[in-house]
Amino acid sequence: MTKEIARRSFRLMLEARVLEEKLAALYRSGKIVGGVFLGRGQEALSVALGVHLRRGDIYAPLIRDQAGRLAFGDTILDTLRTYLGSSLGPMRGRDGNIHRGRPSEGYHAMISHLGAMVSTVCGSLMAKRFRGETGIVGATCIGEGGTSTGSFHEGMNMAAVEKLPLVVVVANNQFSYSTSNDRQFACDDMITRAAAYGMTGRRAIGNDLIDCLKVLGDAVAAARGGEGPQLVVADLLRLVGHGEHDDASYIPAALKESPLGRDCLDLAQQALLENGWISEEELSEWRTIVEKEVEETSAKVLREPAPDPAEEDWNAFSVVGRNLSGEDEE
Amino acid sequence: MNITYLEAIRLAQQKALAEDPRVFIYGQDIGGFGGAFKATKNLAKEFPGRVLDAPISEDAMVGMAIGAAIEGMRPIVEMQFADFSTCGLNQIVNQAATLHYRTGISCPMVVRLPSGGTPGGGPFHSQSMEALYAHYPGLVVMTPATVEDAYTMLLEAVALDDPVIFCEHKFLYYHLKAEKLPEEALPFWKARIARPGRDATVVAYSAMLHEALAAAEELVHDGYDIEVVDLRSVKPIDTDTILASVARTGRLLVVSEAWPWGGVAAEVIARVATEGFGLLDAPPQRLNARETPVPYHPALWGTHRPTASSVANSLRQLLEL
Amino acid sequence: MFPSPSPQSSLPLLPIIMPQLGESIAEATLVSAAFSVGERVEADTDLLEVETNKAVMGVTAPCGGILKELTAVIGESYAVGATLGYLEISEEDAERLGLNDAPPPPVEQPKKKQSPNTDGASSGKKLVKPTVSGLPVPAHAGGASFLSPRMKARMAELGLHAADLAGVAGSGAGGRVTIDDLERFLQDLERNTISPASSMRVAVADAMRRSWTRPLATVVLPVQLDTLLAHRKQQPVKAGPALYALRALSIALSEMPATAGRLIGERLIHPRSIDIGFAVEAEDGVLVPVIRHADQFPLADLVERYNRLVELARARRLPGSDTGGSIATITNYGVFGLTMATPIPLPEQSLLLGIGVGKITPFWDVEKKEFVPVTEAQFTLSFDHRVLDGGAAGRLLQRVAQLLSTPEDL
Repeated sequence: MTKEIARRSFRLMLEARVLEEKLAALYRSGKIVGGVFLGRGQEALSVALGVHLRRGDIYAPLIRDQAGRLAFGDTILDTLRTYLGSSLGPMRGRDGNIHRGRPSEGYHAMISHLGAMVSTVCGSLMAKRFRGETGIVGATCIGEGGTSTGSFHEGMNMAAVEKLPLVVVVANNQFSYSTSNDRQFACDDMITRAAAYGMTGRRAIGNDLIDCLKVLGDAVAAARGGEGPQLVVADLLRLVGHGEHDDASYIPAALKESPLGRDCLDLAQQALLENGWISEEELSEWRTIVEKEVEETSAKVLREPAPDPAEEDWNAFSVVGRNLSGEDEE
Repeated sequence: MNITYLEAIRLAQQKALAEDPRVFIYGQDIGGFGGAFKATKNLAKEFPGRVLDAPISEDAMVGMAIGAAIEGMRPIVEMQFADFSTCGLNQIVNQAATLHYRTGISCPMVVRLPSGGTPGGGPFHSQSMEALYAHYPGLVVMTPATVEDAYTMLLEAVALDDPVIFCEHKFLYYHLKAEKLPEEALPFWKARIARPGRDATVVAYSAMLHEALAAAEELVHDGYDIEVVDLRSVKPIDTDTILASVARTGRLLVVSEAWPWGGVAAEVIARVATEGFGLLDAPPQRLNARETPVPYHPALWGTHRPTASSVANSLRQLLEL
Repeated sequence: MFPSPSPQSSLPLLPIIMPQLGESIAEATLVSAAFSVGERVEADTDLLEVETNKAVMGVTAPCGGILKELTAVIGESYAVGATLGYLEISEEDAERLGLNDAPPPPVEQPKKKQSPNTDGASSGKKLVKPTVSGLPVPAHAGGASFLSPRMKARMAELGLHAADLAGVAGSGAGGRVTIDDLERFLQDLERNTISPASSMRVAVADAMRRSWTRPLATVVLPVQLDTLLAHRKQQPVKAGPALYALRALSIALSEMPATAGRLIGERLIHPRSIDIGFAVEAEDGVLVPVIRHADQFPLADLVERYNRLVELARARRLPGSDTGGSIATITNYGVFGLTMATPIPLPEQSLLLGIGVGKITPFWDVEKKEFVPVTEAQFTLSFDHRVLDGGAAGRLLQRVAQLLSTPEDL
């Protein structure tokens, strides 16, 4: 555990938090069309995975991974551009919010069907293996609800059969939309699934940055070192609605007031201060810088053009489509 | 030397594996066993580590292929039967088909579907799925009807940067033979005039091409000269060749082994009615399988989908209109 | 009608043929047979009863004999000329009827089979095959007027209408004209001398073709012109008889305007003003200048205007405002020496009043009890029979004649 990694992680968590607050505000003022799904309360777990990945790794984040995405190289600019539908963003208005990525850089753009990305990461790892690249890790995150799908199961099984360097992080945030865990799975402890698949299982305290950094660091190192696929299960609590359209009134107050419900950003800040890894001034400075960056980027993106249906390449659905729309030559 | 349709597919895969290190094949029982239909016989041995046995996980097989394709590989996924591809439908239509549109990164994957009916196949080993996949933008759907096309079009499929659904017909596997394999061929998206004619056009593809050709021969005795068009691929459809044929004959019958609703036959007719209305001497007709799941018993199966004789009868009615 | 020796005897068999039972009849349905097979039949008796769309009629035996075979089925339709059965007759009768003469030239078979029997299972009901040549449209030719989209597209390309194909025999299903029939027909035309039709010709052709889509009829009335001619002689500036007729018609129409109305669907559209045109021959066509509100001006006031319009029309310098929009037209075909004609009203009009040539005709003077010479012309009123019947047309024409007999009131 180094001071640098903790400071970097906290900075990214702060950016994720401020950015997502801005997204919520933009949504409530009608500037964002479609869904807004935030990761408030899950930043520690998400960033802990992201900071241990490096260039050449494969990363398929899901809905509540803003912090991890920023760690892997995504930017505040690209995030705002995608949410605001700017034609200059990576998805160019063709997909939005968390459905973004840069696959050529190992950053997969998720599809909405939960569990589907597990096998996709496996495939990219297979490709790297075919090409003789070693020391690579593939990682994806998922909620406990997503683990109920058939595609999750198939992906996990395949990762184990193919002995791939895959790290799967299950953020057990207690609720899938409004569905509590007792309606989602019946095993006592999700960690038992690791053994069932033939993977190594690890447990992390989801809202504790220090613990997450340790556990995820070990998991990623193990995968990178050739120990096979790793399953990390972390308990935490979702501190927002399923989406910004949802008030999460189904989450019991007791849970919110329990240790599970403590805000990981506060806990991380406290930990950094206690360890002397940051000062109050620096914290305040960081906050100001981050808020300014988010504000300025947001203002800039709001002025950017929306995609123009008249300018849109309606043959972009495929390479063949584009070629056949123009010339007859192949 | 007699090369079967199946052997042509095997040889194409062999050539692809030999010439392009990015190619690998993934499917159930395709390794040492050589595949349920022997389409990969001896390939695992010849190309160790590149012809792999997959668990029974169609979703993960396709998802894996997508991930590999993102990283620049050229995977071929063999579904044991086309009918099982629906287990992987989500990955095919929601991830593979949308990848290029959403991210600009292409997905050069081939999914091979052993398709179509054989006697005793029953509802889950006989389906023709081309219309389902053709419906989604972003997928290429090939339906070769000849030994030569099975060979050249599979090679083209591997070379294409888009995801290709390659519908190979099980009945043709061992029933169709050719003398030799071609060096060149029409591009995959061009339809072929399989039999030039004058009095009516039959558009067909895959196994139905051979029923259409047999029907055309039967109609010679009735004094008619029928033109038969082989679509070769159903996505994209070569509308130009079809319209040129209808311009010559004025009458159109489209034959497909799949069900009528929203199928390839309906698509062809919609295009001809929209773009070539003034070419028609009679209402365009289609002939499809009956509107039930594919029956098991050969006696029932025999009349479930179009045959040379039912195609000939449809043609006679078309010519009277 | 070929004699064929019957298998059992050496006596000749005379085919019993469906006769032509009316000019427009192409087929008839067999209703009953008066005799059974094997029975003796006398000459000139009715063998069979057939029904056309107009009446039930008999098929007569041309000579005596034995009804050897009845091939026709009761309830089925057969074309004129079709064989319905066979009569076994004597050698003398066969000689007399010329059965041994050379057979008529074979009927040209259509290129394609007309049978709809496609199911494999025979249904017994076969399409009628015409056995008589010369009928323009074969029996059961339900599709004779059908033009497929392809045909329509080709005809549009060539600027042709269904009327241009009226004389083309169709070889397609149901007797329709196919693309091949059309192309052959057009190719064949090239063997004739062809001259381009003037734009006037094409315009008139188009108007007449469209007018003809209505059921048109004509009524005729002889009118004595003596009073009119005497009146005309006294005028300083003379107008043609057409102007007299125009004024008479305008007054008559002002009394019964609905007769010049148009039927659109189920509504009779009345004319807005009594504007009447009159036909003037100009080069190879006809122009129709118009007198507006003809009912409101006495004849004397119209003479100069009328003559001027005639001049302009002949010179083809008729202004647009002086043509079009009339509700009826006068045509004086008498100037061509014609006594009577059935001209076709303009497509947008229901009435066309025609004037034939005036001739000295004997007229029975009731008082003098002798024939006296009078100048008489046939006046015709051609009309859209959907708008008027003969009676109304007749009354209108009678009123015109009456008005013409007092020309000083016109």
